[in-house]
Amino acid sequence: MNDYVLGQPESPRVGLGARFAVFGLVIAIVVGLLTTRLFYLQVVQGGYYAGLAEDNRQQTQPIRSARGLIYDRAGRPLAINIPSYVVRIRPADLPFGERDAVVERLSSLLDVPATDIIEAIDRYASLRFELVRIASDVPSDVARIIVEESRELPGVEVDVEERRQYEYGALVAHVLGYTGAVSAEELAQLEEAGYLNDDQIGKTGVEATFEEELRGLYGAEHVERDASGRIVRTVQIVNEPQPGASLELTLDVEVQQQAEEALRWATEVVDLQRGVVIVMNPQTGEILALVSLPNYDNNLFARGISNTDYQALVEDPNRPLVNFALSEQYPPGSTYKLVTAVGALEDGLINPSTQLETGPFVEIGTYKYWEWNRRGFGPLDISGGFAHSSNTYFFQLAGGLGADRLAHWANEFGFGQRTGVELPAEARGIVPSDEWKQSVFGQDVFPGEVFQAGIGQGYDAATPLQVLNAYSALANGGTLMTPQIVRRVLAPDGSVLRGFQPEVIRQLDVDPDTLRTMRLAAREVVTSGHTFNLVDLPLVVAGKTGTAEFGVRDSQDRLPFHSWFAAFVPQFGPGQPGDPAQTDSELAIVAFAYGANTKANAATEIVKYFLQDHYDLGVDITRPDLLQRGNFYGGN
Amino acid sequence: MSAMRVERAPSNTLISKPESGSWQSFDIQLALFAVALAVIGLLMAWTNSTGAPLEPGSTFTRGLMWFAIAIVAFSLAAAFDYRWLRTFAWAVYLGSLGLLVMTLIIGVTINGAQRWVSVGGITFQFSELAKVAMIAVLAAFLARRQQNLGSLATLVGAGLLVAPAFVLVMIQPDLGTALVFVAILVGALFISGASLRWMLLAFAALVAALPVGWSILRDYQQQRILSFLDPTSDPQGAGFQVIQSQIAIGSGGLFGRGLTNGSQTGTDFLPVQATDFAFAVLLEELGFVGGLVVFLLFIGLIWRVLVIGWRSESVFGVAFAGGLSAMIIFQMLVNAGMVAGMMPVTGIPLPFITHGGGSLVSIAIGLGVMQSISIRRAHPGW
Repeated sequence: MNDYVLGQPESPRVGLGARFAVFGLVIAIVVGLLTTRLFYLQVVQGGYYAGLAEDNRQQTQPIRSARGLIYDRAGRPLAINIPSYVVRIRPADLPFGERDAVVERLSSLLDVPATDIIEAIDRYASLRFELVRIASDVPSDVARIIVEESRELPGVEVDVEERRQYEYGALVAHVLGYTGAVSAEELAQLEEAGYLNDDQIGKTGVEATFEEELRGLYGAEHVERDASGRIVRTVQIVNEPQPGASLELTLDVEVQQQAEEALRWATEVVDLQRGVVIVMNPQTGEILALVSLPNYDNNLFARGISNTDYQALVEDPNRPLVNFALSEQYPPGSTYKLVTAVGALEDGLINPSTQLETGPFVEIGTYKYWEWNRRGFGPLDISGGFAHSSNTYFFQLAGGLGADRLAHWANEFGFGQRTGVELPAEARGIVPSDEWKQSVFGQDVFPGEVFQAGIGQGYDAATPLQVLNAYSALANGGTLMTPQIVRRVLAPDGSVLRGFQPEVIRQLDVDPDTLRTMRLAAREVVTSGHTFNLVDLPLVVAGKTGTAEFGVRDSQDRLPFHSWFAAFVPQFGPGQPGDPAQTDSELAIVAFAYGANTKANAATEIVKYFLQDHYDLGVDITRPDLLQRGNFYGGN
Repeated sequence: MSAMRVERAPSNTLISKPESGSWQSFDIQLALFAVALAVIGLLMAWTNSTGAPLEPGSTFTRGLMWFAIAIVAFSLAAAFDYRWLRTFAWAVYLGSLGLLVMTLIIGVTINGAQRWVSVGGITFQFSELAKVAMIAVLAAFLARRQQNLGSLATLVGAGLLVAPAFVLVMIQPDLGTALVFVAILVGALFISGASLRWMLLAFAALVAALPVGWSILRDYQQQRILSFLDPTSDPQGAGFQVIQSQIAIGSGGLFGRGLTNGSQTGTDFLPVQATDFAFAVLLEELGFVGGLVVFLLFIGLIWRVLVIGWRSESVFGVAFAGGLSAMIIFQMLVNAGMVAGMMPVTGIPLPFITHGGGSLVSIAIGLGVMQSISIRRAHPGW
């Protein structure tokens, strides 16, 4: 094409016209394209987009169900729900460009680090339309500010939600556990069960083991929202939520308080770092009190625990989050002699009147296995051996039984197996049989190790709950019960969904007379003065002490030790003292003092304190002097 | 058919009496199309006003204010003898570059780009004024070189004129407006008779330089282009607006939901509705038919602009008409295309519809100059 030059008379104006025409054509094409596109979007696909616009506003959202409550056996509320403000973000409604400003504002209002908020928003990358929780238990004035600024805070929602309140806090924290925000891993497994990404879930304690019952069923509703996420109206309720069931625990808060007070008293007198007291009804397996110290305030978790508080709990060397009653295992010490004694009687090594000589030590080759008082007690029958807790006596029984028979009787009493209590993280314990030692160390149990196993040392390991359960079986005449923590499950209307049913693990394959002998022997532990002035308590108590060495020897060649006391109280009435020969005891107790290293048995003092309080005996025979630091052995 | 006349010197007064045709040559159609579009823009300001539209400071009252200012600007520009623009071309040019430099110095940064100048609480985009100024400067330059319109020198000269403005706008950074300058340049050159061969070669060179250009783009500009290619890939950022915009438009259907009834926009799902996405609101509330009416009014407007340019029989008139209509059609393509999901998200306004004083006043000045050309044409009888 010839270049057209304006102003030259000979230039054909038609050239200019062609350019105008091309220009017009370009305009026509542009407008045509736009019109076609709009026709497609608005007329052809109009219905589709109208639906999407509706979806933008109408969403199905879950209706949370009220979590079931938790009561003690007397109907005292332990865990209730109270309203609290929560702040959440729907990432899809938070435009990228405004994100920094919104995060910064929320961070300063809620006093939450900006990095935490960003992390929360990005945690579930695939679920951008679902709400994520930024803060729980927000003060009402802060909640109001956020609602008022909702225009500047797109995607941010403030809701009223019920949160847990634990009425007794730390006192029952190890039993109740707590609820917390569902983790990404938990969500991956539970999403199909209807869990939401900002949901609460029972993390430990019965809150965790009874999560399904407590949670109930979430409902669903259609709601209409505006762009800032505020619900304009509820269009329709699709499913009504079904409130969760409530739990009635076997626990009695009063007994729990007595048990905690007794344990706390001892920890203060002697500066114990950890301790356990469990009280149980031997007839039914109901746990009346379960205290593990140190404990923690589970309301911290219910409110949404701060990182600082959580780190403090996790880094505490005494591990307050661990339920030492059943999640850790320790050498049971002389409490284990019950197993050795019953085994020897049942296997016919001895009869109740057989006398065995006890000296300063028993020798295997050149190794000497010492009596705990390094002198011996002369000839003893089973009652005497048990009452004096004579090591040399029980070395002889254990040696006679051998590793496997000893393990057999331990297993019979429930050692080395979980009791099946409905609490999380129960430890199994260790019963060293030849088979066990082969699998772990590739050798049989040495004769010396059998001696140790016979007195609850060496490889033996048990939880306080296992020790208590074994003595409960002794007290009730030979029925090993499953310890129970939840008595009944109640529907929201109060009807009983699951009533209480005692559960038997097994009937011990032991002659009732043997158990009667051992109950009387346990009584002799008290009457012989082995437990000092416990005999002065105006109450018939039978039990067995234990002193379990662990750790590393000190400069005087002494090992630190835990002290144990497992006991039961035969039924009694006015003018009718309890009779340990009977199998009618309704209270068994175990006390465990970790690393006690006291002159006398700290656990016995704890039980003493508990019993005189529990039965309101009106006497105080506790002897704090016995809880002085020093060495149990050194004192004798 | 008569040849084009050589540009005459302007009369002695800036506001001259039209030679023979007088104000009867005022193009009433042009004014009507413009006012109709501006009124539709006011309607959108009404519907987009959050809270009471009549409150001081609302989108609507600000729209009314700018409407009045635009009428004044239009009248002044129409009365002003456009031929003086030749004389003042350099002043206009330096002035507009000055405005762009000022934007960079005292401009307000919004969404990562420094485009707005805030005076007394009112933000204003100087780059809008600079666009119209550039049309005038280019028209004046081409008129001055009318003997050599087809030469490479003309092409290069015009390019060099536009280059500083292009660069200054890119620094803000405002890719969209920079491209508007290119559209103006191409429109003015093409219609006034520049060498097609050289233009094609320049285009080829630009295409070859594209990879380099990509690397110069800011991250968010690259992001916008990438998100444009697949809006669903980034439903959070720019893609969020594109998706919401399409939902708004689509749900408008044939006749729309009625003014102020936009579900998307009424509930704020569509972000920055008051500015870049105002056309989406219009399409949702007035439907496909409403959009079509707007397009027809624009076609009418551009048609009048081109007719005036054609009738002016002057290089200045033709080039100005070409530059102005190229600007309008390009902005339509980019803004309406963006709203409909055909174009990347850039901050380019749709003249009249997008609220913004700078855009409205600038287009009013441009149309005023067209009226000035119309009034002072050689053959008013046409």
